[in-house]
Amino acid sequence: MEQYKLFINGEFVDADSGKTFETIDPGTEAPIATVAQAGKADAEEAIAAARKAFDRGDWSGLTPAARAAKVQDFADQIARQGLRLAFTESMNSGQVISLAKFMPLISVTLLRNLSLAAVTKFPWEEEIPASGNAFAPGREFIRREPVGVCVGISPWNYPMYIACWKIAPALLMGNTMVLKPASYTPLTALIVAEAAKAAGIPDGVFNVIAGPGRELGEILCTHPDVDKIAFTGSTEVGREIMRMAAGTIKKVTLELGGKSATIILDDADMELAVEGALFSNFFNQGQVCSSGSRVLVSSKIHDEFLDKIIKRAESIRIGYQMDQTSHMGPLVSKQQLATVERYVKLGKEEGAELITGGKRVEVKGIKGGFYYAPTIFANVNNKMRIAQEEIFGPVLCIIKYDSDEEAIAIANDSVYGLAGGVFSTNTARAERVARGVRTGTIWINNYHIFSDYCPFGGYKQSGVGRELGLESLREYTQIKRIHVSAIADHKSNMTFKIMSDYKKVEGFSYNCPTAVIAGHGALSSIYKAVADLGCRRALILTDSGVNKAGLAQLVKDALVDFCVGIYDSISPDPDLETVDVATAVARELKADCIISVGGGSVIDTAKGVCVTLKNGGKVNDYLNFLVLTEPQTPHIVIPTTAGTGSEVTNMAVLTSKGAGRKLFIVDTRIMPNVAILDPRFTMTLPKDLTVTTAMDAMTHAIEAMMSTLANQICDGLALHAIRLINENLPLVVADGSNEKARLNMQLAATMAGWAFTIAQVGLAHGMAHTIGTLHHVPHGVACGIVLPKVMRYNVDHAADKLALVAQALGTNTAGMKEHDVALAAADAVESLMKKVGHPMRLRDVGVPEENLAICAFHAIADTAVIFNGRPVSDPNEVLQIYRQAY
Amino acid sequence: MGRGWKINPIVKLGPGVSQAIGSFRADKGIQQPIRIALYFSGCCDSSLYLCVVTILETDLTLELDGLTFVINPEIYQVVGEVTISYVDEMGRKGFVLTSSKPVGEWDGCGVSDIKIQPNLYV
Ligand SMILES: NC(=O)c1ccc[n+]([C@@H]2O[C@H](COP(=O)([O-])OP(=O)(O)OC[C@H]3O[C@@H](n4cnc5c(N)ncnc54)[C@H](O)[C@@H]3O)[C@@H](O)[C@H]2O)c1
Repeated sequence: MEQYKLFINGEFVDADSGKTFETIDPGTEAPIATVAQAGKADAEEAIAAARKAFDRGDWSGLTPAARAAKVQDFADQIARQGLRLAFTESMNSGQVISLAKFMPLISVTLLRNLSLAAVTKFPWEEEIPASGNAFAPGREFIRREPVGVCVGISPWNYPMYIACWKIAPALLMGNTMVLKPASYTPLTALIVAEAAKAAGIPDGVFNVIAGPGRELGEILCTHPDVDKIAFTGSTEVGREIMRMAAGTIKKVTLELGGKSATIILDDADMELAVEGALFSNFFNQGQVCSSGSRVLVSSKIHDEFLDKIIKRAESIRIGYQMDQTSHMGPLVSKQQLATVERYVKLGKEEGAELITGGKRVEVKGIKGGFYYAPTIFANVNNKMRIAQEEIFGPVLCIIKYDSDEEAIAIANDSVYGLAGGVFSTNTARAERVARGVRTGTIWINNYHIFSDYCPFGGYKQSGVGRELGLESLREYTQIKRIHVSAIADHKSNMTFKIMSDYKKVEGFSYNCPTAVIAGHGALSSIYKAVADLGCRRALILTDSGVNKAGLAQLVKDALVDFCVGIYDSISPDPDLETVDVATAVARELKADCIISVGGGSVIDTAKGVCVTLKNGGKVNDYLNFLVLTEPQTPHIVIPTTAGTGSEVTNMAVLTSKGAGRKLFIVDTRIMPNVAILDPRFTMTLPKDLTVTTAMDAMTHAIEAMMSTLANQICDGLALHAIRLINENLPLVVADGSNEKARLNMQLAATMAGWAFTIAQVGLAHGMAHTIGTLHHVPHGVACGIVLPKVMRYNVDHAADKLALVAQALGTNTAGMKEHDVALAAADAVESLMKKVGHPMRLRDVGVPEENLAICAFHAIADTAVIFNGRPVSDPNEVLQIYRQAY
Repeated sequence: MGRGWKINPIVKLGPGVSQAIGSFRADKGIQQPIRIALYFSGCCDSSLYLCVVTILETDLTLELDGLTFVINPEIYQVVGEVTISYVDEMGRKGFVLTSSKPVGEWDGCGVSDIKIQPNLYV
């Protein structure tokens, strides 16, 4: 009799205890080999060898391609042992030879297919272009690295093939492995070990120990040096393995039991359905976890199906597994046979109708062997234990149903969720049923089809994780996220600021790519701008006020035949629905470019449209910070107010009814491609709007300077914007057609837009957003009223900046202390506001006094507040400011 | 004491088992005996477990520590002498059943509580 040894650290060795066990041929019950029986010491030695090999790095440290090359050598060596493996597999497990002869081939193919995938398809490293954290820029990527020492515990039904489901991904991903084959069928795994040795897989990388599951399992699943366990077997043992693994938080992949449904729809091809149900149940004597052992048959075809499947089942040839003509061989063991018999009895007791089989079979010329006839129960109720518990033998239960919905409900009425099949001539209908069934695999008009690149695993109590496919490769890796900060300076690290009193952020990145074309007649540039962007179908977005002023038509004429339409249904403070409707229009017109002609409301709507048009769905999907990774739909802006700066900013402010407030898209990718500042477009702006929008720009500039993110570029832009507004606002108020002053106001608004794109805004904006949302105070008006009060509140945290602001506002600061100069800046803002007739108090714009407290609470939660020069966390302080502004 | 068959099954009880079964029966107000039964625990393995059902004519029965255990004679023939222990350790609480002729290599690995069967069939 042949003798097999354990394979530990590259050597074939006896068990430490010297113990051996016999393994038999289930077709004859004759012993065929003795196998060294591993115990605790051997398991520990194998784990130690695997650990050492992993840590040594001569496998885990190889490139994926180098490892794949070795695995290919391994596959070659398995191929060389093909005949021996096929015979041994058949003889030891009871698999009929007509099936077992394919096992070496499909194992070799698996190793080769997964090798190829590991090298060419597996995402070892993945870039994360948008991290989702707007405060910590840097390169973000993930590396997939091996898990470490993996334990594979393989079952007896496909001893070699399922072992390879574990061996291939484990080794390809750089892990080392201890494999424990099932005690009924240990031989082929040990032959595979010979192949590994012959292929030169480094010592300790692959180890095989045979022996009792319970004893070895306890060591393998609790040993601190083991990192992962992949187990195929019973749900009960799987549960225990999970529990044992929990002690040291090992990763687990569990491929467990099933009670799958083969669903025969009333329009199924009858012959195919009969063969399918037969194969799904009696293949490998029904000892397949994915067996479709509940055959759900439509009542419309039930009787015909039953007649046919009985005849077909009775024609199955049961014989010795090595006989080429046998369709079915023996069950794997005496115990297996006894349990199957017990269940058949139970089925009868439960009231199911045994219509064929239900008995042992004697094979001519053989004494012994665990043969059992293909057995069919009809009139099975899904609540019966034979329909709920996995029998793992050739027992098929037929359950009648009336509708597709009922079939799905019956299929899902199981603690398991492994696999299933649907037979129908209508693929759409079959797929609808397939989608309703909660299992990890569904075959349509087929069954038991395993494919190397298609994942297999269970829902519910059928398991955890997946084997085969890229999914299986992932299961044998762990993910390392690597963040390489773009800013290596603690003073510029916004996150570290949480634990520091120094809130100012020093370093910065300046990325304002919008091309600005400015001056009298700048509109003419739009024709070329559209052509330069490669577009031909520009849609003009505007609002009715601007349209009525004739401004959209000016643009249309300048576009000659590049314009597909003008859409003007955009209301002030646009909401998400407004954007979605405008997007639908753009889609309808197949627009390839958006031209916004209007104030901030139109421009922000257009930004939302550009994103949604490019990416699909609704704008609500894109209310995010810095997550877009590609250029969006081209966008040209012609601002008609000189306020928001939205023509160059990275922000779109949109009202969300769901959130009950304004929300933002903040992204470099939404900065418009081109801003055309043509003074003609603001000349029609009424005086009050001229004033209030200008105060919005003023607030941007001053708040950007007071921000913790302010820097020299921001300050330069902001100061000049302040200067221009201070000088030109009174001029345009006096004479709205002063073209030079109008252009200067436009430039000021654009520069202020850049300034706050770099440095953000602060508390004044937080407060203005709140009263804007709750009391519909126009944004510029609200900003203007609270701005001087916030400047005073911030004075001790931004005195240097406010002093510069005071100078830009023309205050004579000679002989004054910095603190006083800073306060003078607030006074200067107020006197400008008075000069141009800006509202001065919240009471004048319809804010009820009793609501100030609730406004304070809302304001404190506004994102803008994060960057305010003075940290804000006390709503009472904000309430005081609101009161001062009241 | 066996009915139908003329042998007494051998069932051994580990420490704490009779108390655990006793308190289970008291909790649930159960009068019936405890059955030792066999089931497939999913893919590849079968196990023994305990349940509460009515005695059948053919059952083997045994009185032990004031409790009545029953087992189907065919199952008894397959598994032999049954040892029931009770464990209550980290995350593992319940009855563990092993047999002199183990039903599989993972025999005794799982733990179970006592199932109350809706019907007689085991
Ligand atoms: N994206 C940003 O960077 C940013 C910055 C600040 C504010 N905003 C947002 O911008 C919006 C406010 O924009 P806004 O202040 O520019 O006002 P607006 O776009 O809401 O326009 C206000 C009114 O002015 C009219 N109008 C505009 N231009 C005109 C013209 N030239 N002639 C005649 N009428 C004209 C409009 O028809 C409209 O009725 C708010 O939703 C605010 O939250 C955005």
